[in-house]
Amino acid sequence: MTNQEKIALIEETLEIDGGTLTENTLLSEVAEYDSMAKLTLIVLCDDEFNKKLTGEQIRSFVTVKDILDFMG
Amino acid sequence: MQPFISFEDKVILVTGASVGIGQQTAILLSQLGAKIILLATNEDKLVKTLSLLEGNGHNYFCYNLANIDNIESKVKEMVKQCGKIDGFVNCVGIRSRRPISLLSPKEIKNVMDINFGSFIELIRCITKKGHFNEGLSIVGVSSIASHIGGVSVTAYAASKAAVEAAVRCLSKELAPKNIRLNTVVPAQINTPEYANLLQMNGGVDTVLNRQYLGLGEATDVANAIAFLLSPAAKFITGISLPVDGGYLTS
Repeated sequence: MTNQEKIALIEETLEIDGGTLTENTLLSEVAEYDSMAKLTLIVLCDDEFNKKLTGEQIRSFVTVKDILDFMG
Repeated sequence: MQPFISFEDKVILVTGASVGIGQQTAILLSQLGAKIILLATNEDKLVKTLSLLEGNGHNYFCYNLANIDNIESKVKEMVKQCGKIDGFVNCVGIRSRRPISLLSPKEIKNVMDINFGSFIELIRCITKKGHFNEGLSIVGVSSIASHIGGVSVTAYAASKAAVEAAVRCLSKELAPKNIRLNTVVPAQINTPEYANLLQMNGGVDTVLNRQYLGLGEATDVANAIAFLLSPAAKFITGISLPVDGGYLTS
C-alpha cells in the first residue's frame, strides 16, 4: 500500500474530508484526531496491517508520517 | 463446626483459568478443597496455574472455546477423566474495544461466540444426564459494562448482558434439576487486562471516580464466586451480583 493509499484509508476511517491530510500534517492541528480517533487507529493498524499499536506509541506520533511509518 | 464454605472433593470446572479472575478463582476453590479442572488456551499458563493450586487431583485441558462445535466431546472427555461435575465457573472472555465504524459482523460474531455462545454450549453439555452431580452450581463472570455501557465496548457489553439474561432464563429452566446459576458483575479489577487498558488510556481511569471503594482485586471476585457456587448460597439463583466497589450505588 502506498503512502497516498494509507492516507486515504486514514481519512476514510476517521471520517476526515478526502485530501485534507498530507504526510507533514501535524496531528495536533487535526480537529478529528481525538481519543476516539486514536482508538480507531489502533484497531485499524491491527486489522489492516497486523500491527499492535500501544497507547505509548500513539502518544508519540506528531505528524501523519509517523502513523504511515508505523503502518510500514 | 463445619466450615462456612467447603468444596471437599467436589469437581469444579474453571474456564479462562490461566490468568486474572479465573486463575484466582481456581486457586481459592482448590484451597477450599475442590478438585479443579482448568481450561484455557495457553498450555504454559495452565501449567503455571496448576502449580499454584493446593491439594491433589487437579487437571487441565488446553482448549480454545471459539471452537464451539467440539465443546461436547471435550466435556465428555473431562467427565470421563475427572468425574461428574459439581460446579462450573465461566471466566473466559475477550474484551473487545472497537468503535462502531470498525465493528464488523465478523468481530461481533467472534465476541459473541467466545463470551456468550461457548458459555451456553458448556452449560448444555454439562447439564446432560450423567455429566453432573446433584446440586450443580454454575457461576458466570459478567461485567459492569453490561449495566453502564462504555465507549467502544458495544460487542463486549452486549455479550455480557446476554450472559446475564441467559442465566436468568436457565435458572428457572434448570431449577427442577436442582441446578443453580448466577453471575458476578465485576467493575474495575486489578488484572493484566486492566493494566493494558490503563496503559492505553495514558494511566487515567475515570471509572474509579465512581468506584468509591477503589480498585478491586481478583480475590474480591473469586470470593463472591466461591460463595455463589457453594451450598451457602443454595437459596440464591438467577441473580447478577455486583462486585463493583460501590459503582452502581454512586
